[in-house]
Amino acid sequence: MLEVAKGNGQILRAYGLECNGSSLPAGQVGGDFFEFIPWNERTVFTVIGDVMGKGFQAARLMETIRQILRECIGINPHPLEVVRQLNKLGGYELQKYGSFATLCLLCYDGIARRLTCVNAGHHPPLLLSHGQVKAAECRGVALGLLEDYLGSGIEEFFLAAGDTVVLYTDGVVEACSPGGHRYGLERLKEVVRLQHGVDVDKIKKNILFDLDTFTHGVSQKDDVTLVVLKVTEKAGDKDGD
Amino acid sequence: MEIRIYQKEGMAVLELEGEMDFSNVEQFQQEIQRRPEEVVEVDLQGLRFIDSSGVGMLLSQARYLHRQGRTLRFVRIPGLIREDLELIGFFRVLEALETNSHA
Repeated sequence: MLEVAKGNGQILRAYGLECNGSSLPAGQVGGDFFEFIPWNERTVFTVIGDVMGKGFQAARLMETIRQILRECIGINPHPLEVVRQLNKLGGYELQKYGSFATLCLLCYDGIARRLTCVNAGHHPPLLLSHGQVKAAECRGVALGLLEDYLGSGIEEFFLAAGDTVVLYTDGVVEACSPGGHRYGLERLKEVVRLQHGVDVDKIKKNILFDLDTFTHGVSQKDDVTLVVLKVTEKAGDKDGD
Repeated sequence: MEIRIYQKEGMAVLELEGEMDFSNVEQFQQEIQRRPEEVVEVDLQGLRFIDSSGVGMLLSQARYLHRQGRTLRFVRIPGLIREDLELIGFFRVLEALETNSHA
């Protein structure tokens, strides 16, 4: 397993996956976060989220949510139970400060190549397979807004070598051009569609480059967080996994 | 962000123009809390952008008025902003507020 954390970026190579993510804050520290959480010899969790607001409080709540997330995975690692429990425990912390958080949790089983997705008010992940892009359909209410988590449940995908998953925060699709037009989901999907056969680091750079081209480098209101996962092989097919 | 306030059929109407974000949510929150009417309507037609702080404030104010037996209503929501609010679960929370006092 190779895990590298550098600045606002993180890389993971394990479980037959290559994972690469980074978070670019807009102005003061924001509430965007992502993390790869290796769980056991075949399972890794990936989470992306956005805590309401900016500044010290958002950053502190974000750290609290990440810590509680790990505890919830330890109690019961079923992804839906993780989000339900996180909404209870983390939701309580968020409500104390009149806040909420969006979150998308992925659980990847590298042996079965099964990707399980649960969503709490976050943009659903994009899946690129054989040059076709689709958005996951799982939906749910953001953490901290309701006493009990309410959502469409888990969504599962069986992935093949070369399949790619892209997670992002609203700072990507809501970024604006100088003329006030939104970057939008359709443009993101089109850029992702063109990344068939490209490695994860380059995919991430290509998306960020296209975003920068669209916005003409104008500073944006929201953080931009982008995470790319790509299936390279079945976990255990090669030494080092 | 510009806020225009007027009365219509006994309720207060707050029309928003511009962008609502972390830097100006308190201004709008104060305007809502200043209103004595039983129903306060927020007209979002002129809203071009809302961040998570804005969404959180609108929901907290909907709860605040609900606890007082009053109503905060959102009308003329632009399409893209409606999509953003739907994704977060904004309307599910408002529905829950109507049926469940714990929402």
